[in-house]
Amino acid sequence: MEVSVKIKGVEHKVQAELIGTELWVHHAGRTFNVDTQSGRKSRKKAAGGKSNQILAPMPGKITKLLLNPETVVQAGQAVLVMEAMKMEYTLKSDIEGVIESIHCEVGDQVTLGKVLVKLKAKADT
Amino acid sequence: MSQFKKIAIANRGEVAVRIIKACEEMGIETVLLHSEADIGSRAYRMATKTICIGPAPTAESYLNIEANINGALAMGAEAIHPGFGFLSENADFAEAVEKSGLKFIGPSAEAIRALGDKVHCKALAKQAGLPLVPGYEGENQDVAHLVKEAERIGYPVIVKAAAGGGGRGMKLIKSSAEAVELIESAQREAQSAFGSPKVFLEKYLDRAKHIEFQVFGDSTGHVIHFFDRECSVQRRHQKIIEEATSPSLTDELRRKMGEAACAIAKLGKYKNAGTVEFLLQDGEFYLLEVNTRLQVEHPVTEEVMGVDLVKMQILTAQGDFVHDPKQIRAPRGHSIECRIYAENPYMGGVPSTGLLGKVSWPEGPGRRYEYGFEKGDTITPFYDPMIAKVIVWDENRPRAIQKMIRVLRDSVVFGVHTNIPYLIEILSHAEFVNGKMTTRFIETYFADALKAPEMGELEKEISAQVLKALRQNESSDVLVSSPWMTYWRGV
Repeated sequence: MEVSVKIKGVEHKVQAELIGTELWVHHAGRTFNVDTQSGRKSRKKAAGGKSNQILAPMPGKITKLLLNPETVVQAGQAVLVMEAMKMEYTLKSDIEGVIESIHCEVGDQVTLGKVLVKLKAKADT
Repeated sequence: MSQFKKIAIANRGEVAVRIIKACEEMGIETVLLHSEADIGSRAYRMATKTICIGPAPTAESYLNIEANINGALAMGAEAIHPGFGFLSENADFAEAVEKSGLKFIGPSAEAIRALGDKVHCKALAKQAGLPLVPGYEGENQDVAHLVKEAERIGYPVIVKAAAGGGGRGMKLIKSSAEAVELIESAQREAQSAFGSPKVFLEKYLDRAKHIEFQVFGDSTGHVIHFFDRECSVQRRHQKIIEEATSPSLTDELRRKMGEAACAIAKLGKYKNAGTVEFLLQDGEFYLLEVNTRLQVEHPVTEEVMGVDLVKMQILTAQGDFVHDPKQIRAPRGHSIECRIYAENPYMGGVPSTGLLGKVSWPEGPGRRYEYGFEKGDTITPFYDPMIAKVIVWDENRPRAIQKMIRVLRDSVVFGVHTNIPYLIEILSHAEFVNGKMTTRFIETYFADALKAPEMGELEKEISAQVLKALRQNESSDVLVSSPWMTYWRGV
């Protein structure tokens, strides 16, 4: 809906909507969204850097597991493949170490942020 | 032949809507052949009738030949329009449709086999003496053999799905180290997207422009072209910005390429709409492929040529469309199309799914929107990420670019992230503005994800007040004090 707010005496007309816990705003040619629970800009951040786990960076289907538990991995090595919107995405390990456990199977439809693989860093092995 | 009374649409999203609009204008009823995931979609709401042909996975619905034909027959349709993607370039589908007594709105199965299969098309083009990019188009699909061929051609090599399109099943191999993984990946994508794992290899031209010609064979088999489009701006081998006409062609080059496009279409005994794609590098052009269907980017041609390609397709299938020489004119002005994808430009373009909130496109002269989703629709991970196309027309290219940037800034999509900020960055880039972009434009200048702009103080204050207003269901003149303010300041 169109919302009009006055800040320091200046009126700003914006488009805005609450979808779930997210506030979406369009103002001055830019759309941004904010998580109203944390108050932070919403990123839906998943696959984090240097993580010892591989998270689903998007909802999609697991199409291939390239490595088994106990396998030694190098940083940047492909671990599994998933598909969303008809495109393949290869998910890689951020760290050097060993595959500790795998939490998905080929054919699984996974949600954003799901833990797919846990790794044990080389330093910890 | 008498006019169709009811046409089935074997597709979804914006192209299904586009076909429904053309049918409505012609007084033809429509039947949407849809999956379970698309119940309630915009096309579903707009079609005269609908029938569910299977569950969400494409292999069980949109790629299921029997289900599509049975659905069309059950609903009393006389013809099937396949749109683009899915079964649109599948010769077996075209043949099965005709055998069932329905009419296929597109080229004949023979023409699709001759031209649509990229491997056969290249053989035909060789006969006609058309220039081709060096590559391997053999039947041996063994990965080890393909790697050997890639090494013979010399890296970089591009592996492509023989039945493909839309960038799916297409991978750039830069060295032998990644050849096996990328060839296998391309084969899997090809199987998933097109129902066939067959791939072929091509030498990758690293300074090329992607130029294509819209061809159209009328009911008598007379082929002409409706000039060219430039589609050099591609991400993951998928076009994102297209324009008509190309800013890169001289009159002489345009004439030569147009003649070559018509020549190959005639060799394939082509009827209906098709596109002949070329790569252009250092003033030389090479045949890339022929797409035996309507293209995603057909609106830019419609805008500069003043034609309705979908209507012409339907009339041709009815047997009563003949090119009128008096109506064929030179292109007028300039048109640009941007594809709006549901993806997060600040996270490397990963797909963004979810429930759509407000969706609105700003009105005005020379603006056109093709979209399949509205507020309340859900974007799922099952299908292509394209949710809409924005098309503008203006008197010349600089004005069209300016208009497109304004339109994108004023477009609103809530609920999923889109590539709109990315498109604005591209349209503002000097290389694009000067028309110098090549197919490597994105990887050269936009290799990394866009950096998400920090929220300014004003935006934080606006967010806080807007939230309060929404919660109080008010829409005007909210005063400043809000418990949220402390949060925004802390971001």
